[in-house]
Amino acid sequence: MLETGLIIRALARNKIGALLIALQIALTMTIMVNAIFMIQDRQQQMQRDSGLDEANTFYLTNTIFGQDYNIQAQLQTDLHMIRNTPGVVDAIQINAIPLSSSGWSMALQHEPGEDKDAVGTAVYMVDEHAINSMGLELIAGTNFTQEDIELRKDGQSTWPAKTIITKAFAENLYPDDWQSAIGKTVYISQTQPMQIIGIIKALQAPWNGWNGVERSMLVPFHRESKGSYYFIRTEEGQRDALMPAIEKALAESDKERIIRRVTTVEDTRKRSYRQHNATNKILTTVVITLTLITGFGIVGLAIFSINRRTKQIGTRRALGATKGQIMRYFMMENFIISTIGNVIGCIGAVALNMWLVNTFNLSPISFELVAFGVVALFIVGQLAVLYPARKAALIAPATATRTI
Amino acid sequence: MLVMKNINKIFQTADIQTHALRDFCLQVNEGDFVSVTGPSGSGKTTFLNIAGLLETYTNGEFLLDGEDVGKLNDNGRSRMRNQKIGFIFQSFNLIPDLNLYDNVDVPLRYRGFNAKERKRRIEENLERVGLASRMKHLPSQLSGGQQQRVAIARALATDPRFLLADEPTGNLDSEMAKGVMSLLEEINQQGTTIIMVTHDAELAQRAKRTIQVKDGRVSELEIVASNTDKAIA
Ligand SMILES: Nc1ncnc2c1ncn2[C@@H]1O[C@H](COP(=O)(O)OP(=O)(O)OP(=O)(O)O)[C@@H](O)[C@H]1O
Ligand SMILES: [Mg+2]
Repeated sequence: MLETGLIIRALARNKIGALLIALQIALTMTIMVNAIFMIQDRQQQMQRDSGLDEANTFYLTNTIFGQDYNIQAQLQTDLHMIRNTPGVVDAIQINAIPLSSSGWSMALQHEPGEDKDAVGTAVYMVDEHAINSMGLELIAGTNFTQEDIELRKDGQSTWPAKTIITKAFAENLYPDDWQSAIGKTVYISQTQPMQIIGIIKALQAPWNGWNGVERSMLVPFHRESKGSYYFIRTEEGQRDALMPAIEKALAESDKERIIRRVTTVEDTRKRSYRQHNATNKILTTVVITLTLITGFGIVGLAIFSINRRTKQIGTRRALGATKGQIMRYFMMENFIISTIGNVIGCIGAVALNMWLVNTFNLSPISFELVAFGVVALFIVGQLAVLYPARKAALIAPATATRTI
Repeated sequence: MLVMKNINKIFQTADIQTHALRDFCLQVNEGDFVSVTGPSGSGKTTFLNIAGLLETYTNGEFLLDGEDVGKLNDNGRSRMRNQKIGFIFQSFNLIPDLNLYDNVDVPLRYRGFNAKERKRRIEENLERVGLASRMKHLPSQLSGGQQQRVAIARALATDPRFLLADEPTGNLDSEMAKGVMSLLEEINQQGTTIIMVTHDAELAQRAKRTIQVKDGRVSELEIVASNTDKAIA
């Protein structure tokens, strides 16, 4: 304010150092804003509701190797046993686990036939206990009944007449009114009709990176298959004790199969987002490191230029500058350099984001984030220059006469 | 008016104490032109720095225009320097990154004058030292004598009561030194009190009054007749 014009003109005669710092600020801004954006994006993904009662659920695989094995009878026995185990809320057989990254997908369409628009969805083959076993919330329509459950042989290509879908899927199929999905007929495998009888609040597909991750459908099937999952929900706090107990009970009840991979849904979530977490840690480290380097760069340049200008600062004091005015000089100088850096940085940040949007299909960064970056770097700059500026203010006025 | 009574200045470094001024007494009246001579290390710069409020003293009494300097804090001294004192240095101390106009502007900014007032004062004082046509030049584009003239313009721009000069001609050849000296005489004639430290006996003689500093004391007080009317070729 007081000396802005003089500071700018003096800076203009010492461009290189100031420009390098401004460019460093710009680069930091560019990378910081986009990295934070990517971190936030991942965090939002991780915070999405899977729809499951994650804290109280686990699953295991049931692999049958016996010949002439009565799959159907054993399934009934197993489910009956698990469901009646004290502490168990409910249990189902299921073909895929949300968040696990492997599963089944199909597409539903409004009209039968080839070349019709179809919307992809994850498929969970379950019985009428699914909503209770997974902790889902039925928000419209009805659940399956026991009579709805059909037996599915491996490789079978026909589908049951009823389905329950997620709200997100209903919104996709019926954008005007998701509730109108109830009772509607949709087509699977291009031609087979299915009636939507219920809508659940949320249930994620197995693939967290898929942009249709919120679209899932429940299909009333018991699978006559030699490999399947049992998905079990326990009462609060019972899960960890029941996991080995049920594993043991199942294994001992029938020696012609193997019970494996007894896993909590919480672990599955962790594994599913391990990459996300690692990337976020790396990005956070990059942002912090870059900011620190920039901060130290500012400190370094300021100390260097103050040492170079010791006599000049003494002269300014001799001409009547107060300590505060000397401090303000260097804070203002930094502010000007930061402004240049931030302007270039904003352009860089938006440009990098546009590239990311085009290349990786990310959404555009928000104005708030860019504004945050600007404010953050101004604060970093002012904090970094505080110590050198204080040092400058303490240069004795007598330096003007005592140094050659 | 500047009054120093029994001023002592002791520099305390790790293990050495230097008694730079000992019971230093001096009175400089309004409109005076005092030259200060003395051997190297005798305390001339120390005296001038204290007189110009660049340094504090260990004890004694110092009144500047009736104000007790000892009672001022750092900000108060800065303000008083800006308002009452103009400095001229042996090596000019111009700011190399600023042109002449901006150099003269520096103390005016600290005073807080508005742009119009600053412009008037800058132009007027550069005119006064004969460098109005060089306003956009950088100090490095001028000769030593010209640079010292800019420094004088800068010192005068705030209308100080006292002009303090530590060897103002020390870095100049004798021709340029004489030119700067006559400029100072002219300024003194217009009413500014000047205290000038110099090694040059000839220049010292041209002041209205000459004092000698020895071992931190005013050793000799010699009042000479005004000789400012001596013209320099
Ligand atoms: N900052 C300081 N710390 C310690 N001693 C100092 C300091 N400044 C000056 N002195 C000492 O004080 C004494 C007076 O120094 P001063 O600079 O006033 O002498 P001077 O008369 O100006 O000498 P010169 O003619 O060489 O410029 C000297 O002995 C000097 O070494
Ligand atoms: Mg000296």
